[in-house]
Amino acid sequence: MFPLPQTECREPAACLSSASALAVGPGFQDDVEGECSRIAAAQRPELCGVGEPVAMFSSDSSCLSSRGRVIKWFWDLAEEGYRTYHTDAYDEDKNPSGIINLGTSENKLCFDLLSRRLTQSDMLWVEPSLLQYPDWRGHLFLREEVAKFLSFYCKSPAPLKPENVVVLNGCASVFSALATVLCEVGEAFLIPTPYYGAITQHVYLYGNVRLAYVYLDSEVTGLDTRPFQLTVAKLEKALQGANSEGVKVKGLILINPQNPLGDIYSPGELQEFLGFAKRHKLHVIVDEVYMLSVFEASLGYRSVLSLDRLPDPQRTHVLWATSKDFGMSGLRFGTLYTENQEVATAVASLCRYHGLSGLVQYQMAQLLRDRDWINQVYLVENHARLKAAHAYVSAELRALGIPFLSRGAGFFIWLDLRKYLSEDTFEEEMQLWRRFLDNKVLLSFGKAFECKEPGWFRLVFSDKPHRLRLGMQRVRQVLEGKSQLAEEGPPCQAQRR
Amino acid sequence: MEKFGAHRAWTRGRETASVLALFLVGSSQPSEDSKTPWNMSDPSDAAPTPCDQTSDAGLGDREISVHLLEMMLNLQQIVGDHFTRLTTRRRQGLSLEEEKHIQVICEQEDVINHTMCQIISLLWSEATVDQKLEEPLLSRNSRRDGQRAREAQEASRQPDRPARQSDFEASFVTHVLSNRGVDISVFYQSHFQDYNAYQRDKYHEEKNPLGFLNLGISENKLCTDLMTQRLCRNDMNCIEKDLLQYPDWRGQPFLREEVAWFLTYYCKAPTRLDPENVVVLNGCCSIFSALAMVLCDPGEAFLVPAPFYGGFAFSSRLYAKVELIPVHLESEITDDNTQPFQLTVDKLEKALLEARQKEKKVRGLVLTNPQNPLGDVYSRDSLMEYLEFATRHNLHVIIDEIYMLSVFDESITFHSVLSIESLPDPKRTHVIWGTSKDFGISGFRFGALYTHNREVASAVSAFGYLHSISGVTQYKLCRLLQDREWIDKVYLPANHSRLRAAHKYITKKLRALKIPFLERGSGLYVWVDLRSYLAPCTFEEELILHRRFLDNKLMLSCGKSYMCKEPGWFRVIFAENPLRLKLAMRRFSHVLKEQKYDWMVKQLEDALQE
Repeated sequence: MFPLPQTECREPAACLSSASALAVGPGFQDDVEGECSRIAAAQRPELCGVGEPVAMFSSDSSCLSSRGRVIKWFWDLAEEGYRTYHTDAYDEDKNPSGIINLGTSENKLCFDLLSRRLTQSDMLWVEPSLLQYPDWRGHLFLREEVAKFLSFYCKSPAPLKPENVVVLNGCASVFSALATVLCEVGEAFLIPTPYYGAITQHVYLYGNVRLAYVYLDSEVTGLDTRPFQLTVAKLEKALQGANSEGVKVKGLILINPQNPLGDIYSPGELQEFLGFAKRHKLHVIVDEVYMLSVFEASLGYRSVLSLDRLPDPQRTHVLWATSKDFGMSGLRFGTLYTENQEVATAVASLCRYHGLSGLVQYQMAQLLRDRDWINQVYLVENHARLKAAHAYVSAELRALGIPFLSRGAGFFIWLDLRKYLSEDTFEEEMQLWRRFLDNKVLLSFGKAFECKEPGWFRLVFSDKPHRLRLGMQRVRQVLEGKSQLAEEGPPCQAQRR
Repeated sequence: MEKFGAHRAWTRGRETASVLALFLVGSSQPSEDSKTPWNMSDPSDAAPTPCDQTSDAGLGDREISVHLLEMMLNLQQIVGDHFTRLTTRRRQGLSLEEEKHIQVICEQEDVINHTMCQIISLLWSEATVDQKLEEPLLSRNSRRDGQRAREAQEASRQPDRPARQSDFEASFVTHVLSNRGVDISVFYQSHFQDYNAYQRDKYHEEKNPLGFLNLGISENKLCTDLMTQRLCRNDMNCIEKDLLQYPDWRGQPFLREEVAWFLTYYCKAPTRLDPENVVVLNGCCSIFSALAMVLCDPGEAFLVPAPFYGGFAFSSRLYAKVELIPVHLESEITDDNTQPFQLTVDKLEKALLEARQKEKKVRGLVLTNPQNPLGDVYSRDSLMEYLEFATRHNLHVIIDEIYMLSVFDESITFHSVLSIESLPDPKRTHVIWGTSKDFGISGFRFGALYTHNREVASAVSAFGYLHSISGVTQYKLCRLLQDREWIDKVYLPANHSRLRAAHKYITKKLRALKIPFLERGSGLYVWVDLRSYLAPCTFEEELILHRRFLDNKLMLSCGKSYMCKEPGWFRVIFAENPLRLKLAMRRFSHVLKEQKYDWMVKQLEDALQE
């Protein structure tokens, strides 16, 4: 348990209760730690706007700096959760009663294809220049490949340029570096919620940058045509809100395809949001890490790089990585594309700290170059498998009578389990989540995505059929048991481990 | 408080000005040529000696702007100095009136400086308009912190902006970056322009025989053949599920286990080291950066004996904003200085006292052992003394042992801090090691932290997300560190004997040139005394000599970048293959010959004038 000094805490009750409630292990969302820390952040309004979280941690017993103590707090919450899952992870042979992970957003469907491709002889190349200090922006051969790759798959109207590419060890690092070079300490980015919660930690750790939320609702009212719809009016309102609290907003973060909604922004919407940002001189960071994981072709996904005219190209920065689209989150390869050389150069100045091995850079270049394999083998198969898994899970959910959102992009379905909460609170949401965990299946709860309404969960379906089946079975058990319980009365505390 | 802030800002302003001056020296060849006619290469020299070819590009308007820019920078510096004198003459016992007076001066200073920054920005965009300079320049005000910076920035957004919007859009005046973003960018680019030039124009036997030879960056290139062979073996290429999925952010358990074993063995630890105390990140600079974040708050400081590895300066500044306070060591041998640049507890105490008098909050001491750039190896006794000094003052000690296996002189015994039976303050002792130097694979991006302090290990682990290593790379590293047989029987013997041979060659050369240097038996470099080639012996002259090496396509590192107190010292890397080393040394002696010759000519001219 993190010793949160009660007297120093601005909202001692809230902080302490949330910390203790979470300590058992909320960490199994995306990227295990990230989103869990996100939960921590969510409990402390200071982090997402005004205020200085460091003030909360002024215990003298530690040999860490004040910011070191905040950072360690992030880690500890995550670590707790991480341990719970890892001590009891499901394994076909060794631990068949272990926890099935439908919480972490990883694509585990195509390991066979990937391992075959990555062990081909062209991947084994070693040469001295790959073993020595690189160009910190990324080896030129790789940046060239990335530019070609993005030109092709983002359908850019003109070829993209290698000098606009910066290569780092994952999108987390890109977020961190961008936050540092675009914002001063304490400034903020706008972000529509629910969103991929790990970003909070990415922009906070080094950058000490906050997020200002644009809250979206599930209810379809007024001009909205679908749940959780982002509109310019909502952006304007959130920006005003932040400004009136004295928070300086420097940019807007968009995730497209959206995580956790599994939705995409249409080119028209994109243009509107970009136009909004331009009016207010905001940077736009577009995270397109699920760009090739749109398995429903009818959606008509368009990358921001495919737009004919960007309203403000100097302030538009695009992120992509192989973590999701190529199911290689452990490979740590992410890239920034920006026409703004000043931004590219500033981010590159930090690349010493976010470099990746030359051998891996070589392998990535080989992979991205192999258009035949990507188009004819990998993407075809990957989309087919995603589709099948998605079809299976959605059929199950329909049978259970559970409403959900998912339009055919990403690895996840956004579940509406509100009717399973006896009260409309995040505590209840946490209880339900814990019940899932007790029944050895891991999901991510909506609070981790800063969803405004309690009762939403993200379920990742990109796992092998038999695991998915087992996972769904455990989900069903909980929900069926739970719904009975709900009729009988409120859930008893005893069920908390 | 306010006036100290102002003083700091000015100091930084002057740094900026000198950075700008550096850029200009690089970009405005015409003006420099007129002063220093050194660019001729000796045609009789058998080896091709490349010259700087960027000389006469784009004159005219740009040249005028460049001159104006130089003048403005000069002016800015003079004004800066003036204000510094005005505001720092007396710091203590000021009456209220005097305080107010100083406040007014500070405000004036702000206004004047802001105006000058705008002019400089304008000139800069003029000067670089037809030149492909990678790095945008900064305005001085953009290097400040806090309120004043914001005010200044706001001011520059006012409608009284010059009409030439488009030029401004092209330059940094757009405020696209945050102040710290500009700071990071300029700080980095100013130090790495040589490195970038080298990356673009590397020497190659056939393809680019006139390219840069690099004896400046500390890389061991002597064993790439062995390493390549080893990495090409079958056991290296394994793809497992775990390697492609999200890792344990402290490092994969199998790798941390192996690192613990490895350090236990090679550091001769009295008991087995614990994998739980290991954190693995993508490079030692990442470890240092993360440590600086979690041990210090912004503005706090570490003590570092100087000369020291310049990378610390980046790692403490770019993200963490931690100050490094040099403990200056001297080359001269005196009663308490039994060898050149000797570190003693007295000097540490003195530096700490001085820092505390200046109200600096010192949180730790940074040591490099074997030392870079000196090549010294600390004896067990002195190591203990330093650690005890730190314990007395509640300081953390960060020990960088990245050259631990590069001690090639067999008569020298290296003592890792991990070999010490009972550390004075294990909770505050943090050891860094990586494969970059000892295995010559800096491109692998691997660094490890060993600390008994779980709190520190946890806090550093939080950065694992931002400094993670690819699972595939972690696997390779694990295989490499595991292969004790290959390391002990093949790699280390070959590496040491090649280092010895290269060291022997270079020291022989230096002796032949009658150049003093520190004779040591570890590291990849020699610390060379070129003071006799500087007249006068100043850092300006050191920089000029450094540029002269660069003009002749030879990269070295000058003492200034190690915060050496005495101008004229250079670090020369010798871990380069024999052919290149030979050619580099030829360029080296050629430059020094030129330097001597010019000096004689100048002497002669002076004498004639008299």
